[in-house]
Amino acid sequence: MAFDELRVNGGSYPLAAAVGRTLAETLREDLGLTGTKVACGEGHCGACTVLLDGVPTLSCITLVHTVGNRDVTTIEGLREHPLVASFVRADALQCGFCTPGQIVSAAALVAAIPSPTREEVRHAMSGNLCRCGAYPKIEEAVVTWQD
Amino acid sequence: MKFVRPESPEAAASSLGNGSVALAGGTDLVPMLRDGLVQADELVFLRDVVPRGVQSGRIGAGTTLAELEVDPELPQALREACAASASPQLRSMGTIGGNLLQATRCWYWRLRFPCYLHGGDRCHARQGTHREHAIFGNDRCASAHPSDPAAALLALGARLQTTRRELPVADLYRLPTEENRNLTALERDELILELDVPTPDASVYLKAMDRRAWSFALVGVAAARFGAETRLALAGVAPVPWLLENPSALEQSTPLPGTAYKVEIARALVRRALASLPTT
Repeated sequence: MAFDELRVNGGSYPLAAAVGRTLAETLREDLGLTGTKVACGEGHCGACTVLLDGVPTLSCITLVHTVGNRDVTTIEGLREHPLVASFVRADALQCGFCTPGQIVSAAALVAAIPSPTREEVRHAMSGNLCRCGAYPKIEEAVVTWQD
Repeated sequence: MKFVRPESPEAAASSLGNGSVALAGGTDLVPMLRDGLVQADELVFLRDVVPRGVQSGRIGAGTTLAELEVDPELPQALREACAASASPQLRSMGTIGGNLLQATRCWYWRLRFPCYLHGGDRCHARQGTHREHAIFGNDRCASAHPSDPAAALLALGARLQTTRRELPVADLYRLPTEENRNLTALERDELILELDVPTPDASVYLKAMDRRAWSFALVGVAAARFGAETRLALAGVAPVPWLLENPSALEQSTPLPGTAYKVEIARALVRRALASLPTT
């Protein structure tokens, strides 16, 4: 089976990358989708989180050739998600660099559990680090996303 | 670098070696490729050929930790060990087969010091910084095995089916010797396909970490009770997952100056794990 296409946010793009290129590099540098951030580059911090078929995935350590026919959703694909407004409402960021990854992880959580408890938020979001320490407000944004 | 999608597990296994490296979840391999710790001419992608999912105690090696974490059919110790591993994203990507075979987190090894595991003549951690390192089996290499599920599977007495043989999970691991510095006994062209996990009467996994989530174990303790027998296994205390014959075997540990505190943590976690197992 050959996958010569990459499906991102409902669109289809030809996959023309050297083996070893990461999904994050492809999204940012080849497709211009720079909402996905790369901070640590080694799978620790969660800034690069995207959804693959709805599952939060670290795009900085995902080789683009392994994506196959799975649907990629980036922060650009979540532009209309109510979580974006709830992050603004809760003032859930300072520098904002981790925010795309935070919202992507939160989107997967609320798709599975529409009204998560604070403990469920902490468990599901523990792979998204925030160096500004905005965690209390991030938690607030996620538990109030339907307001 | 080439990207290969093999047709079968056997084809995948036989193509390994000579620059061909197996790739599953990639959570350990991709950073190592990028850091130059692993060189590959060819990546052999396992997702389509290694079994995935759980059926009557048999776990496909391609099952992710996130899938195991929530499977009510599995023993509590294994579910808890998976839930306590890494981060949600890494658990969604990483497979149980890859988890068992992950490389050490020892920073001397990761930074490519010419250490014992890399074929050198000494362990830099023994003389250097070693707070996260071993208290057992540490005379040649003091690294600490990072896998939580491996300790759980060891306590549960799981067996592995590979492309070549069936073996207890205990036999997957070995301490390094002068002649062979590997920490696993898997052949270069051998793949783990399935895990067979016995169902205990009760089991538990407890983990001490620097923070409550997303950290490697300082000490992890798995306990599994089968009738009158309780098996204990530890993560983060030796270069390989460590079977503890009984609680007092902790007194035979050989901690380094910076790891003596782990013995006290292990004592406490063993006590708590045993106390938490229902006795009926």
